[in-house]
Amino acid sequence: MNTATISDVRSDMALWFRVQALYVEEARLLDDQQLMKWVELFTDDVRYWMPLVTNRVGRDIGKERSRFGEVAHFDETKTSLVNRVKRLGTGMAWAETPPSRTRHFITNVEVMGGEADGTLQVRSNFLIYRSHLEYDQELFSGFREDTLRPDGDRWKVARRDIVLDASVVMQKSLGVFF
Amino acid sequence: MKTHFQHLLDLNKGDLDRKIFSDPQIFEQELERIFARCWLLLGHESMLPKPNDFFTTYMGRDPVIVTRKPDGSIGCYLNMCRHRGNRVCRADSGNARAFTCPFHGWTFSNDGSLSNVPGFKEIYLERLDLQAHSLVPVAKIASYKGLLFATFDGNAPSLEDYLGDMAWYLDMILDRREGGIEFLPGTHKWLVHTNWKFPVDNFIGDSYHGPVSHKSAWMSGFEGMPRRKSGYGYEGFQVQPGNGHGFGTRWAENREQVLEMALPEFLEYERSRLDESIARLGDLRGLHMSPMHASIFPNVSLLWQGSAIRVWHPKGPQLTEAWGWCFVDKAAPEDYKREKALHMLQRHGTSGTWEVDDVDNWVQCNSANAGYVARRYPQNLEMGLGDEIDDPRAIHPDIRGRLGRFQSEINQRAFYGKWAQLMDDETPPAVPVMERRTSQGSCA
Repeated sequence: MNTATISDVRSDMALWFRVQALYVEEARLLDDQQLMKWVELFTDDVRYWMPLVTNRVGRDIGKERSRFGEVAHFDETKTSLVNRVKRLGTGMAWAETPPSRTRHFITNVEVMGGEADGTLQVRSNFLIYRSHLEYDQELFSGFREDTLRPDGDRWKVARRDIVLDASVVMQKSLGVFF
Repeated sequence: MKTHFQHLLDLNKGDLDRKIFSDPQIFEQELERIFARCWLLLGHESMLPKPNDFFTTYMGRDPVIVTRKPDGSIGCYLNMCRHRGNRVCRADSGNARAFTCPFHGWTFSNDGSLSNVPGFKEIYLERLDLQAHSLVPVAKIASYKGLLFATFDGNAPSLEDYLGDMAWYLDMILDRREGGIEFLPGTHKWLVHTNWKFPVDNFIGDSYHGPVSHKSAWMSGFEGMPRRKSGYGYEGFQVQPGNGHGFGTRWAENREQVLEMALPEFLEYERSRLDESIARLGDLRGLHMSPMHASIFPNVSLLWQGSAIRVWHPKGPQLTEAWGWCFVDKAAPEDYKREKALHMLQRHGTSGTWEVDDVDNWVQCNSANAGYVARRYPQNLEMGLGDEIDDPRAIHPDIRGRLGRFQSEINQRAFYGKWAQLMDDETPPAVPVMERRTSQGSCA
């Protein structure tokens, strides 16, 4: 990947600011439990995917992530994402009843590329703090690769690949959104 | 006279002492009397398709390497250098003829033998006994229809004897189609702050928890199978095959009822495979009984509709590492396998809409059960006591083992009974013991 130059989307400060604002808004919706509004940030044909990460050595370095189509942590469509959100609203989703208190920190936002129709490829890092009940405290670290597609006067997330840094998930569950 | 561990449960009343889920001394003793003795699941043969393939896992709390040796046979060894104990393999899986310890460079072939020691001539003066320092092998390794098991106990019964009638029931999963099953690539791994027995108990016979624990998932588009009746009125049985294993099954009178249990996305496949299954397994196992959930003693669990198989690795009295795979009929079409993987991961495993709720319940159970006063009050496992099916063979002449109703704690009681029996057995497991080497030094 080239470093950003003055002539492309990667160094467009106003563009970067608008993308950053989208992620700040998204983080607020998640942390404020506005999940039905959060899920509307995704296109109807979204692919929301988190592969497994394994420890590999030697000539297998670089093959740490499971491939799309294999067993994953998340492999979601808009319908299944909405259903996951609905589940949390039933009052009987015991892993999130009462809901966790979360804080999503989204950093290192980089616009990696763009297309003529305004579609963007964006990479970002995340650190998510989760406090549940009395003593369960968890940190999730990783990065996201998003495809942001124009939809009216704003973007929607058309594809999100989420990579956790952990191979063994040290948290009791992946019960929050990324 | 009753011995110590049998005092911790009263099978006639269904009382179980809560301290078995938190006591550190009991946990240490489990590592010896349960995990160093029993046949433990390593994985599936499909995880080692080529010569020199390997993967790493745990047997009890001991890390092991499982290898496909160049001759095609499978070996399993402690993942521990015989010099200072470093792990000789740091990868979860791969393909390698040999493993070189990253500490001092001792190299072990994938048959476990110590094949190279840096400075063997110059430093050790060729006195080091290479053969005596091979990777520590398991005592026995065996496959049941593709499921790979090993034990550290040289006195363990054969795998088939250990599984007993459980194997015959497992055939409903492992042998319903030509080619058996395979594990799809990818292992869910996550840490749960609970004792390993909690999830085993849940899968071995708790068909009671679904309508409460999983109602939110069922209401939200994450169904398991269409409900033929609401609430608790399921048709089916808890099967008690002996040896501490347990199996829950649905019951169907005819083909239509079998197919009623299939979700729409799997209906066509279920229809297409039914004749073959009946031909292979007979009408009891191929038609009337449909597997639901099971645990294989001590720490393997299966969920048929979810295509999920688990090993619950004990990490501490209140810490368990869950490993999960998705299994499918090997002969099934690729789009069905893909659909099964999606079905599994959206319900079970790290983000599964069913299993995340189970996990929180187990964690909270474990925390509350550990209290000083709480431990004065036994758990209640009386469901179905005195209410077993009197004559299972009258239902079908081929039925093996005992039968409880679909909601019954018959299998949990059998699991803890086997657990106590093994914990009270003071015969040390015949773990391979290094013979004391004669001293070569001359320290006076």
